[in-house]
Amino acid sequence: MGRFLKSRGARKFMRNRLAMASLGIIGIYFLTAMFVFMGGISMDATKQRVLPKHVPGFFESSSLDQRVEAATHYINDVDLACRLAERRDEDPYGIISEKHLAERVPAKLTTDEYNDLLDEAYAILEEELDGVDDLNHRPEFEPRVQRLEQIAETLYPVPAGWDGFKYKLRTFLGSDAAGQSISVRAIYSIKVAFQIGLVTSIISVLIGSLLGAAAAFFGGWIDHVITWIFSTLSSIPYLVLLSVLIVVFFGTIFDNPDRPFLSLVPVYVAFCSTFWIGPCRVIRGETMKIKELEYVQAATAIGFGRMYILIKHIIPNTAHLMFINFSLLFIGAIKSEVILSFLGLGVKGQPSWGIMIRDAKDEVASYFFWQIGAATFLMFVLVLAFNIFTDALQDAFDPKHVD
Amino acid sequence: MWSFILRRLLYNIPVYLGIILLVMALLRVRNPVYAYLGKNADEKQVEQFEKSFGLQDPFIVQYGRFLWNGAQLDFGESWKYKGTTVREKLLASIPPSLSITVPALILTTMISITVGLLSAFYRGRWIDRLLVIAAVLGMSISFLVYIIFGQFVGAFLPKQAGWGLQPFEISGYKPWYTMASTDIFGVTVPYPSHISPTTWVAFCLLPVLISVIVSMGYDTRFYRAVMVEECNRDYIITAKAKGATKNKIMFVHMLKNAMIPIITRIMTTLPFLITGSILLEIFFGIPGMGRTLITAITDMDYPMIQGFTAVIALLYILSIILTDVLYALVDPRVRLS
Amino acid sequence: MIQDAEPQAEPILTVRNLTTRFRTDRGLVTAVDDVSFDIVAGETVGIVGESGCGKTVTSKSIMRLLPEHVTRIDPKSRIMFRGINLATASEKTMREVRGDQIAMIFQEPMTSLNPVFQIGWQIEEALKYHTNLNRAQRRQRAIEMLRLVEIPNPERRVREYPHQLSGGMRQRVMIAIALCCEPDILIADEPTTALDVTIQAQILNLMEGLKRKLNTAIVLITHNLGVVAQVCDRVLVMYAGRVIESGTVHDIFHRPQHPYTQALLESIPKRGRREHGKRLPTIPGIVPSLHELPPGCRFAERCRYKQDKCVNEEPELLESGDGRSYRCFFPLTQTPVAPTVEGR
Repeated sequence: MGRFLKSRGARKFMRNRLAMASLGIIGIYFLTAMFVFMGGISMDATKQRVLPKHVPGFFESSSLDQRVEAATHYINDVDLACRLAERRDEDPYGIISEKHLAERVPAKLTTDEYNDLLDEAYAILEEELDGVDDLNHRPEFEPRVQRLEQIAETLYPVPAGWDGFKYKLRTFLGSDAAGQSISVRAIYSIKVAFQIGLVTSIISVLIGSLLGAAAAFFGGWIDHVITWIFSTLSSIPYLVLLSVLIVVFFGTIFDNPDRPFLSLVPVYVAFCSTFWIGPCRVIRGETMKIKELEYVQAATAIGFGRMYILIKHIIPNTAHLMFINFSLLFIGAIKSEVILSFLGLGVKGQPSWGIMIRDAKDEVASYFFWQIGAATFLMFVLVLAFNIFTDALQDAFDPKHVD
Repeated sequence: MWSFILRRLLYNIPVYLGIILLVMALLRVRNPVYAYLGKNADEKQVEQFEKSFGLQDPFIVQYGRFLWNGAQLDFGESWKYKGTTVREKLLASIPPSLSITVPALILTTMISITVGLLSAFYRGRWIDRLLVIAAVLGMSISFLVYIIFGQFVGAFLPKQAGWGLQPFEISGYKPWYTMASTDIFGVTVPYPSHISPTTWVAFCLLPVLISVIVSMGYDTRFYRAVMVEECNRDYIITAKAKGATKNKIMFVHMLKNAMIPIITRIMTTLPFLITGSILLEIFFGIPGMGRTLITAITDMDYPMIQGFTAVIALLYILSIILTDVLYALVDPRVRLS
Repeated sequence: MIQDAEPQAEPILTVRNLTTRFRTDRGLVTAVDDVSFDIVAGETVGIVGESGCGKTVTSKSIMRLLPEHVTRIDPKSRIMFRGINLATASEKTMREVRGDQIAMIFQEPMTSLNPVFQIGWQIEEALKYHTNLNRAQRRQRAIEMLRLVEIPNPERRVREYPHQLSGGMRQRVMIAIALCCEPDILIADEPTTALDVTIQAQILNLMEGLKRKLNTAIVLITHNLGVVAQVCDRVLVMYAGRVIESGTVHDIFHRPQHPYTQALLESIPKRGRREHGKRLPTIPGIVPSLHELPPGCRFAERCRYKQDKCVNEEPELLESGDGRSYRCFFPLTQTPVAPTVEGR
């Protein structure tokens, strides 16, 4: 490792400031993924309702229509609970308190207090605002809407202190169609992306390099068989092969949204069985070249064993290519996950950027960009950082690469 | 040259047989009948189904039968669409796919080669830097996002804003031609007639544009790298020392040398354009090959999956052989012997 | 071989204070520093020096073939050719000059020809830019040129591609391309370095013969002093971007004034004069990096006659009156060092 850091390529890489910055960004993402993985954000948190549906994020001010709709949501919640309590002849708070939205817990009031507030709210809604079609263009109703929001706030007070901060984090990017927190889901998806990216690219690079080096080094029938396998696999359109591989798992224990970790296995299998081809080709070519170099020939002439030469000379000299391929495959995995999830073949039972983009598809038509924006932005930054990182790697370690 | 093509064809036969084997085997990992009819299908139904499609025979017999029938372009009948053969489905879905992929490929290649050339020629200057940054940024966004925003800007916004101009449709695909057929020496040859360009613009131009924008980042970077490599070659200086103009150097000397990687790139993208358009076809409701195939996969319509993969893989292998032949045409160093 | 040929006619190319700078990651670097020389019609001038001393940059500066965005020819520089200052001439003017009046051949015949065009096409390309010949005439001229550079079977060879020719043959094709428009000056940048020794001699003889036939001046860039002795009339010795000595071949070889020239001459292996087992003299040290040039004489670090003055002060290029100049505070005495001139 120390020798690696002193190598010309490593020094060239470290001089590249953009590359170091992108490495830093990848590091932050990785730490976030680890944080989520260690339980920092539970799966339940991604499914919890935190807001009414489609509430915009922190800087977009809602129109009067949307504000009324949001306030009505809270008021209706309490109203339903009160009616249920009346029928069952219970204290309404017992029922209402179950309806908490994450840290936002309903206020503990008496039945009368609840009813007074609800009556006032419905008076505004049904008598004053009813039948106003162009509310957004009628600023004179602003005070009424504000009062409505006050009532909602009294019924559902926004917590203060640490809980308030947590609630703010949950809500600052708004909510999706099910009232789930976009920010929590988007950040949780980092873990999913890293999970898929790391597992598939590490396994693929290992398999690919091993087979590639073996094919080139031993030649003969081994080379023929390996070349035949990857020619065959790469002749089937990539997305079709992925889909078929995943469909094979349909109806098995791996096709179960309630066990999200198991349901990723088809994705791993599909990615690994297609991704190894890239590194295999590259490493095979490079090994062919190294095999003909004088020092390897000399080692053979001296009488070193073939295994020894493979481990001592070939593998260290293709390490940079493995690393570059790892990085390329990582990008490929993240992007493919999004497409597969969109087709309903990818991640199941937990959020991912692909699922968020799929869910957001129809929101765009109603000018709600928070979900697609959050997923796209997080993914964009990570993929961009990896792209820059890969470029810098190739620039530093691959003499054939042109920048 | 013919012997070369023949040899390449022979060499690719095991690969092709492997593809069919792989797909058929994968599809039989689970009992295809249960996969199609559902877990709770009653036994009689299953037995009848298996009989009618010959699924009780040993795998090798089924494999042989598929190959034998496939050689006569008979891939059987779709399970989902009773009474429709796979061949009919295939023939019906090719024209819509090509309506998008062919213009997209031509546009992308022309634009990105030019941009790549310019970028390489002005290497290191601001215009090059700008293009390189734009390509990397563009590559980092998901295809899906391009499509969603493309539809939003191209079709939804004009409709909402009521500009009176709705250039693009994003659903309800209608073909922009009617198929007619004619008899040539007793063979029925279908051909498109009554071409309607406005229909094409309405249904196909937006997906084509999205496809071009998505591919631009990758292709520009690739062509730039190719051109930069050519720029550093000694023959460029020789040409300059002869008094050649920049344009002559770029478009005569460099381009002919760069043809080899360019051809490889184009030929290997050909089959990928079919798959790349799966997403576009789904979003725009275009009944092309990609969408039909993915629907077949999620429907477990096995004869469709097998037939489509067989044809797509064949096209892929043919395109690779064609690539080798084209090499020989542009590079005098390559001999087809 | 003409020796002691004093330039009598007007020079056709006058280079004055040529300074070329490169932009690099570590700042601006002066690759060619204040170089001046003349070239007279029909003479052969050699530019010699170790690798990286600025020989190639000098020649490419004259042709303006250096990558534009990283190089800068100092505006003080003057490269006068037929009343035009090539240092500041427009790209269009340069295109007219290149290939027509000044032509160039390069070190690597293997890569200097475009691999995907027939060699006939590549000769004809130059004719297309600079003459009014029609297609058939150009083909005729290309065949003639191939015959002139002694390529057998030229009628058949015009249709061949570079990969079908050997290295020596390709260099002949390069010469044919360079000379097809009968230029006034031919710049040959290490034309024989990449070739076998026997082929080297053939190429040099060919160039020598063509020079006589066409009355072309040749600027021969090389690090091989044997080659210089064989074909050149005058010599420029360069070191770390500067001319450190110039004069006729005879003067330089018999009475070098600069210690560097002397050391270079000593390091030529001489037939018959070498004692067995004795090491060939070499010059200790390496050429200073252009990024960290010493304040004084650039050769001082490696000079066996170094004095304090050499380290602190840089010498001027001095004219010694007999057409020679040198850049040294303590020029060598007139004792001959290398009495035999190698002719191969």
